[in-house]
Amino acid sequence: MIFLNRILTTSFLVAAVIGLSFGGASIVLAGDEDAVTPGQRAAILKTFRDEVTPFLKAYCTECHGDKNQKKGDVSFASVFGRPGAGEFRRQWQSTLVNVKDHSMPPEDAAKQPADEERRKFVEWIPKVKYLNPKDPGAFVIRRLNKTEYGNTLRDLLGVDPSVARELPDEVPGEGYLNTLSPLQTEQYLLIANEALNRALGPGDGPATDRWKQLFGAPPASGADPRAAAKNAARSLTRSAYRRPATDEEIEVLLSVFDLARENKLDHPASLRLMLKAILVSPQFLFITPAKEPPANQSIAPLDDYQLASRLSYFLWSTMPDAELSALADRGKLNDPAILRAQVKRMLLDKRSQALFDGFGAQWLGISGLREKRFDPAKFPEMTPALRTAMYDEARLFFDSIIRENRGILDFINGDHTFVNESLAKIYGLQEKISGPQMRRVRIKDANRGGILSMPATLAMTSFPERTSPVKRGAWVLEQLLGEHIPPAPPNVPALEKQDKNKIANLTLRQRTELHRTNSVCANCHKIMDPIGFGLENFDAIGRWRVKDESGGDIDARGELPGGKKFSSPKELKAIIAGRKDDLARNLAEKLLAYALCRQLEGYDQIVVDRLLENLGKDDDRMQTLITEVVTSYPFTHRRIK
Amino acid sequence: MTKNTVLDRRACLKGIGVTLALPLLDSIGWAENSGGKPARPPVRLGFMYMPHGVIMDQFWPAGPEKFLTEPPPAIEALRPVLNQCLMVKGISGVPIKPFNGAPHALELSTWLTATLPNADHRNKIDIAISADQIAANHVGGFTSLPSLELATMPQTHKENQEGLNEGYYSHCSFRSPTQAVPAEINPRNVLNRLFGKADKPGTAPRHDPLDRGMLDLVIGGARDLRKKLPQDDRHKLDEYLDSVRAVERRIASIENRQKDAALEKAGVGPSRRNASDSAPIEIKIPVGDKRSEYMRVMCDLNVLAFQTDTTRVSTYIGSTPNGVTYPELGLGEHHSFTHHQNKAETKAKVAAITAFNISQFAHMVIRMAKIKEGDGTLLDNCIMMWGSGLEDGNDHTRDNLPFIIAGGGGGSLKTGRFITTKGNQGDLLTTLLACMGVPLDRPIGIATKTIKEMMNG
Repeated sequence: MIFLNRILTTSFLVAAVIGLSFGGASIVLAGDEDAVTPGQRAAILKTFRDEVTPFLKAYCTECHGDKNQKKGDVSFASVFGRPGAGEFRRQWQSTLVNVKDHSMPPEDAAKQPADEERRKFVEWIPKVKYLNPKDPGAFVIRRLNKTEYGNTLRDLLGVDPSVARELPDEVPGEGYLNTLSPLQTEQYLLIANEALNRALGPGDGPATDRWKQLFGAPPASGADPRAAAKNAARSLTRSAYRRPATDEEIEVLLSVFDLARENKLDHPASLRLMLKAILVSPQFLFITPAKEPPANQSIAPLDDYQLASRLSYFLWSTMPDAELSALADRGKLNDPAILRAQVKRMLLDKRSQALFDGFGAQWLGISGLREKRFDPAKFPEMTPALRTAMYDEARLFFDSIIRENRGILDFINGDHTFVNESLAKIYGLQEKISGPQMRRVRIKDANRGGILSMPATLAMTSFPERTSPVKRGAWVLEQLLGEHIPPAPPNVPALEKQDKNKIANLTLRQRTELHRTNSVCANCHKIMDPIGFGLENFDAIGRWRVKDESGGDIDARGELPGGKKFSSPKELKAIIAGRKDDLARNLAEKLLAYALCRQLEGYDQIVVDRLLENLGKDDDRMQTLITEVVTSYPFTHRRIK
Repeated sequence: MTKNTVLDRRACLKGIGVTLALPLLDSIGWAENSGGKPARPPVRLGFMYMPHGVIMDQFWPAGPEKFLTEPPPAIEALRPVLNQCLMVKGISGVPIKPFNGAPHALELSTWLTATLPNADHRNKIDIAISADQIAANHVGGFTSLPSLELATMPQTHKENQEGLNEGYYSHCSFRSPTQAVPAEINPRNVLNRLFGKADKPGTAPRHDPLDRGMLDLVIGGARDLRKKLPQDDRHKLDEYLDSVRAVERRIASIENRQKDAALEKAGVGPSRRNASDSAPIEIKIPVGDKRSEYMRVMCDLNVLAFQTDTTRVSTYIGSTPNGVTYPELGLGEHHSFTHHQNKAETKAKVAAITAFNISQFAHMVIRMAKIKEGDGTLLDNCIMMWGSGLEDGNDHTRDNLPFIIAGGGGGSLKTGRFITTKGNQGDLLTTLLACMGVPLDRPIGIATKTIKEMMNG
């Protein structure tokens, strides 16, 4: 099971960035992110006070003015003192969309703004992002998650990463990961013991190759054993702490060595205890900075060692390898050209598969697929092996888009995929594919191809016994397009509990459409459900069908707000692909948040906008997106105070 | 660790496919809190949780006089120990405004805190230390484990209602306002770590004899690192170092226990421990994934941990608010049934799930009632509370939180009764801690009082 500590919960409602204008004169932002001067910032704030605030108070706060009762999840109660704060990001975006298209204030409101008022208000909102001073955000030290910890032990000691399997799984979210119960902390000690036993054996024989690699050659007779231990401590910590240890840190390890010697342990056993101390040290379990931050600054670039670790755990979920470490030693990683070249190299390395397990699976919402249960009576073919094949298909597909440096639209439109024998049956492929081995195939059916019609995502957004157009629709909106759907209000019956007689002869689609007869439900469901209907040709495990469970014909027609109509998965895919800007923004934000291990804040919006601009110039290629994230200001800097 | 830890009284526990020697059980019974005091068993505090509320007319007794003679269907399984049980109606949960859209994140996270999350930092854990952890701070030093947290589901559910941190959805124990305590969900891990390694009975040294000294040096050595870090980083580092310190203390406590046992066996020095008359209970690790067996083995581990005085505080999240199913009852996802719209058929399903959960709790406390301790039984010295964080899952109400307490709390609780009172969740928790003898420097959450009617004397 893969669970991550990284945060993947950001999303903006999408808004095109409108040209900036200050007092009528248009300013085109130059290439520098700092293009807004303090004076311009003050002007934006002045407009907020003089024009935006009166607008909000006249037309909005009557309904959206209570801090505790947020109607439609929107409240302006605390926005007046700090309009640029991160928590209002999404709200500003939806405000922009709703006021611009006249959805707000609602038709029946007592007062409506004049067109000119509305225009000024709408023009101001995109400037909110310039209210925040440039800020990379904090880079709080963080404990390696379970996957990272296992992989790091593998790279350090040559043991199988499953040595860490008994650690608890983790949930993404700030404040949670760094808490351990004493039993779990003890687990680290036990795992350290186990990993050392596996790597070094009982340790009473002659030094093995692994031993020499870790500790160096045994000291010659007559040589100072403590000096030999000191050398070993230096080289071990360079890898395990992912930076050179300080003299104090070396002294601590030598005192562990001394403790062992005083207790009559021989030289090898004493070194072993020292290595165990390294493995339970916070310097190993946390990514820590090499140097004390400069006292008089509030923002500092990451030192090369920190940058190497951040990059390595981002793309590989493990410690930096020899090449990356050597570049860090030589102080080369702050050179953007070298950093870019490393990203390319690392993405082509097979360790970059970790980016799918860590990020991709979470983005697509399929992390739990291998544990998801399906009704065995209805779907006897949905075996663990088939679920694994489905997961692997998504992984290989994601990986191919990165490796081949394809554009992000290929996630929707891709004309290739990966199948084995059992998965080929789900696809109904005619060609002969036998055996459990996954292999690449071309997709000729335009209803197939891409993540919208992939068995993994279709199955994950279904119930154990049937499809769920609602879940599928919500998945497309939230995971792919980055929209926010509020949870269903309490006291709403799920479909199962509808009156049995009334619904007996309805198809699932017709039953689902009952949502829209209830005004509480209709608001969200009129957007979610049609998308799901467009995918109803795929059953709960992703097979093509023309009739649903009730025996009624599948009706895959639908219409999205704005009047876009479709009648098949193929046409739905084309409409989704048409929202490339939304797809790109959502993916970029999720990836940046994952890379930074934090939620995005108001000051990050400038970074995201710039990143998208550069991405667009390079045909939205995946490697460009990842490189842009790695070379971005917040990835390469940290706030100290 | 040396060979003399293998003692006469070491018991062998049989499980399916596994025979477990328990080096830590070389002596069972409880340790003295401090030398010289008369031997009186300590009070233990245990919580067990079920989400989504109950069917009220199946749960609340018809009246005080009917409690013992005609208990309501939901608690039928507790009939053998009803005179050691206490039911109290009229305890309300924390009002959840401004988190009206997050009833399930709050039913669990407010259960032992009686406090709402901080609305200004809702995406972080920021609530209050929970009652079980307050108790652990007070009595945790006497045992090798300050508290035991168990669950039957991974605490990784990712729903974030009202923008609340996902952790609120699956945690109820908080060591500090910002630290959720994770629960152990693998019974084998609990058994191995608390009572010895399963595959090498009695022989495997659990810890290197130098581990304590080594950990001590590691903790001391982090001081320099700490100085270099900004404030937020220090906080994270301290959390880790605190938990390492706890491990060190635990190893020390295990070592002391083994030393005492060895001395006692050698006839040198009097025992500081009070022997129990009952042999350690048997633990069976279930092989399949039957829910009743899984829930029960966690109950058994709780009993064993209390019986052996490995800990005095436990919190067992029998299930979290997300996605538990009951194939044994032929029932699917718990939550979906609780929005039953007052349909008799669906309410019957919720009632069945509730009775199922309470019967696991009954299994646990009945076992405790059979274990002799001092002049009475283990249950006499326990405060075991089963409960839910909602009253009616259909409407998400919490005016009368459903719960039942079993155990005498060392004589502090007036049991065998059903009473009606007026109070809140904080009052209840404050009362339980008072019964345990835990001094409080401030009331728990929204508490304003202790509920005197629940207590003796």
